[in-house]
Amino acid sequence: MISQMYVKGLMFDPYNNAYIVILRDETQSEMLPIWIGKPEASAISLAMEHISPPRPMTHDFMKAYLDAANAKVISVVITDLNENTYFAKIHLMHGDSEYTVDSRPSDAIALALRTEAPIFVNESVIKKQGSEELAQWLENLKPDDFGKLDS
Amino acid sequence: MESLIELKVDRVLDDSATDTRIVVLSRSDEPTEYLMIWIGASEGEAIRRALDGLLTPRPMSHDLIKNMGEHLGIKTTRVVLTDVKHNTYFATVHLEAKGVTRTIDARPSDAIALALRCQAPVYATPDVWKRRSGQNLEAWLNKIESKPLET
Repeated sequence: MISQMYVKGLMFDPYNNAYIVILRDETQSEMLPIWIGKPEASAISLAMEHISPPRPMTHDFMKAYLDAANAKVISVVITDLNENTYFAKIHLMHGDSEYTVDSRPSDAIALALRTEAPIFVNESVIKKQGSEELAQWLENLKPDDFGKLDS
Repeated sequence: MESLIELKVDRVLDDSATDTRIVVLSRSDEPTEYLMIWIGASEGEAIRRALDGLLTPRPMSHDLIKNMGEHLGIKTTRVVLTDVKHNTYFATVHLEAKGVTRTIDARPSDAIALALRCQAPVYATPDVWKRRSGQNLEAWLNKIESKPLET
């Protein structure tokens, strides 16, 4: 089973000095936080706020590269979680063939937002993701932590 | 049209004052003549990993672009530094997909990070070469030191 999820927000995790992108399903019943690096967080944030920098950033370039070859991003899927590392697949259509490319979720999400491709998450990832740890994390959250990126 | 000047990616320097990187390119036919371009930290590290032949456990953004290209049969044929305006360098990436050639606009940092991964040559137009910064590399080297990449 896979569920479609949406990028809900982006926040800073001061304890780990990292960023967290938060995915939610449509009914808001499932939530998936993914810890990502600063450049990828910035790439996701620019896309969420529809900001076009004067020069193409890395994921804009990635999109231009696929556009130039007439390749289309069909979807991205967060497929697995292994020892706190998440795995994703990018599904591409080129000509009449479909291709699947291994990716970090951060790159996959940054690209999906730019190409308006849907983001799916394997159910097993949501289950594995340790609800206890998440509950604890959420307890410590203050509304301010969400910042203006939360929509 | 004057012919393009082939460049070699010489090294990446840290500009610790601003947390940026400097990519140093040299002329293939005149290795003591340099061109320096200020780039972002994450793009600089992407170039450095390629120069050092370092592999990360998960594909980083430019590895992903290269992998997508390999899946789709897109060949990166060359990168050209085409212009410099107010210290901002412009580059084009030349692609070949299914017998059709395309040119896409890119920042030099992304273009070079991809070129190194695809063994594509890097060129500058004679005009960019003439207007480059980097003649005073030795002076720069005295001021900053290149630190090895910490992984």
